[in-house]
Amino acid sequence: MASHDSQYQAVVGKSRLSTAVAHAILVAGLVFLLAPILLIIASSTHSTSTLQLGGLQWLPGDRAIENYARVISFEAGFSDRITPMGMLGNSLIIAIGVAVLTTVLSFLSAYAMVFFRLPCKGFVFWFVMVTLLFPLESRFVNTFGVVVSLGLINTHAAIVLPALAVALGTFFFRQHFLTMPKELIEAATLDGAGPFRFLKDIVVPLSISKAGAIFVIAFMIGWNQFLWPMMISTNDDLYTLVRGIGLIGQESGPGMALVVITILPPFFLLLIFQRWFYKSLSV
Amino acid sequence: MSKVQLSNVTKTYPNGAEAVRGVDMEVESGEFIVFVGPSGCGKSTLLRMVAGLESVTDGQIQIDDRLINDVSPADRDVAMVFQNYALYPHMTVHGNMSYGLKNRGMPKQEINAKVVEAAKMLKIEDFLDRQPNQLSGGQRQRVAMGRAIVREPKVFLFDEPLSNLDAKLRVQMRIEIKRLQRRMNVTSIYVTHDQTEAMTLADRLAVINEGKIEQMGAPIELYNNPATLFVASFIGSPQINLLPAMFDGQYLSSGDLKLEGFVDLPQSKELVLGIRPDELRLSDDGQFPMRVDIVEQHGSDNLIYGAILGAEQESDEETEFCFKTSQDMLPELESNLTLGFDVDRALVFHKDTGERLR
Ligand SMILES: Nc1ncnc2c1ncn2[C@@H]1O[C@H](COP(=O)(O)OP(=O)(O)OP(=O)(O)O)[C@@H](O)[C@H]1O
Ligand SMILES: [Mg+2]
Repeated sequence: MASHDSQYQAVVGKSRLSTAVAHAILVAGLVFLLAPILLIIASSTHSTSTLQLGGLQWLPGDRAIENYARVISFEAGFSDRITPMGMLGNSLIIAIGVAVLTTVLSFLSAYAMVFFRLPCKGFVFWFVMVTLLFPLESRFVNTFGVVVSLGLINTHAAIVLPALAVALGTFFFRQHFLTMPKELIEAATLDGAGPFRFLKDIVVPLSISKAGAIFVIAFMIGWNQFLWPMMISTNDDLYTLVRGIGLIGQESGPGMALVVITILPPFFLLLIFQRWFYKSLSV
Repeated sequence: MSKVQLSNVTKTYPNGAEAVRGVDMEVESGEFIVFVGPSGCGKSTLLRMVAGLESVTDGQIQIDDRLINDVSPADRDVAMVFQNYALYPHMTVHGNMSYGLKNRGMPKQEINAKVVEAAKMLKIEDFLDRQPNQLSGGQRQRVAMGRAIVREPKVFLFDEPLSNLDAKLRVQMRIEIKRLQRRMNVTSIYVTHDQTEAMTLADRLAVINEGKIEQMGAPIELYNNPATLFVASFIGSPQINLLPAMFDGQYLSSGDLKLEGFVDLPQSKELVLGIRPDELRLSDDGQFPMRVDIVEQHGSDNLIYGAILGAEQESDEETEFCFKTSQDMLPELESNLTLGFDVDRALVFHKDTGERLR
């Protein structure tokens, strides 16, 4: 360990003091990032009246069980069809749909752009990148028209599909593919691998960790959608957890509990994928 | 056992670069051909056209009398070994070697037998379950060769396969490649710019310059009888000594030096005299006074570099010669030696065309 330290210092050329300062800054950053989450978790264990009188709470209270029990038995909406399990199901369908489709589509489009001889490759790429300038919010009205004309209103597809037009994944995969040595393709070609085998046997296995990262990011995008689901669905059956928070009231104990429940699935997903995620970001 | 035939093969890249300008070549069955030449001369391009990785702009490539210009790389039955190995990083050694066979639909048992046999031949049978990143450079190169061998192709293609290895390993692998090729008797084309590799591996050597074959023949033939100044200066290590000169009917003169014994050379044309370092000898009545600049001791022999005094100078630099001699010859630096040579063994070239005159 000592030798490791000194090695580290030899490389970075830093004293023990400046290491301590660096760590202090990192810890401060960590506290800053964690504070809101801790605040929500602590607040979710207080009664609604405590929260309304005293604001959000830093310390745990004694109403945890009641709050979470209320959330789980919560029913709302016209004929009580909005339930936590229903909302969770919707959120999962939408987030997984967005994640899977975004990953697959951006993977395939980047594959085509990098490995196929397309005419106007550069133009196609930049055309795809331009979609970054038009987030869903900026094209609500047109997209709404399209969805209506497709007869998709009040369906999961209506919530999922418009969220797919995100070039980020395509860009990410393209950059990754471009780092693959061209001899790899050539060797595979000589080994008798056509485009499909090359995709399946070489590119996919070498891109799994990148795909994991894109999957997580796209899952978050799908999970956190708020405005668009609200616009495109009038049906209580399509309520998501994120929308449910508004329904139950944010400044209430059960509301805080619902917030905590809402952030759990993305959190666990990240936990599962974290090794891949960091690996793919650091390479 | 397959013949490869190139007829007037040309390659112009889309950006206009003329990489290969009309190459004719016949490679006999089982022959080991080496392409050698300076960087950018088109060696790789030519090789890659045989592999099918580059299209042929003009001309014909045939393997066993079958025109393959438009045959896909996979169907040409050639295997290639790349400089950077190009192993599939996520597959084991076994996976790397069997991939090509699997794609061709060979039964599993047969694949296994072939992989194990090739691995034994290459002494990598202990690594079959490892991934490439757990292997040394030399081991990776063996796997790359194994991948080529198991395919039992008609033609092996090598593009500078040893360039990423350290000097010692390179020599070792060089010998092994030669041995393997002898044993398997597969027609091979090998690209390198290492001229020791070229000399030692080739049955025939093709010296390529600016997209054309400058000369082709057995290595020793090219060494002894280079057709051009380019070939003479490219083949042979240390490089041949070159001296700018003119012929006046009686003497071949260079600056203040007058060399006797040359006849039948064109007069008042710029010529170049070429003498191999091992053709020089120490001699009191020799033709070249040399001032010793550097002595390199290589073990069995010494290389003595020095300026030839009085010789015509190309630009500002003094004309330097290299003199290859025995271990015990250790002259003082800055001392003067007198070197002689055998006129019959000296080469004379046209300076402008590079053509050899004698
Ligand atoms: N894909 C390409 N597009 C355009 N020009 C190319 C391409 N590949 C090679 N060239 C050009 O063709 C010429 C020959 O290249 P090639 O790679 O065959 O040289 P080489 O003899 O293999 O050189 P080296 O010893 O450096 O590998 C060079 O001038 C090079 O710039
Ligand atoms: Mg090359």
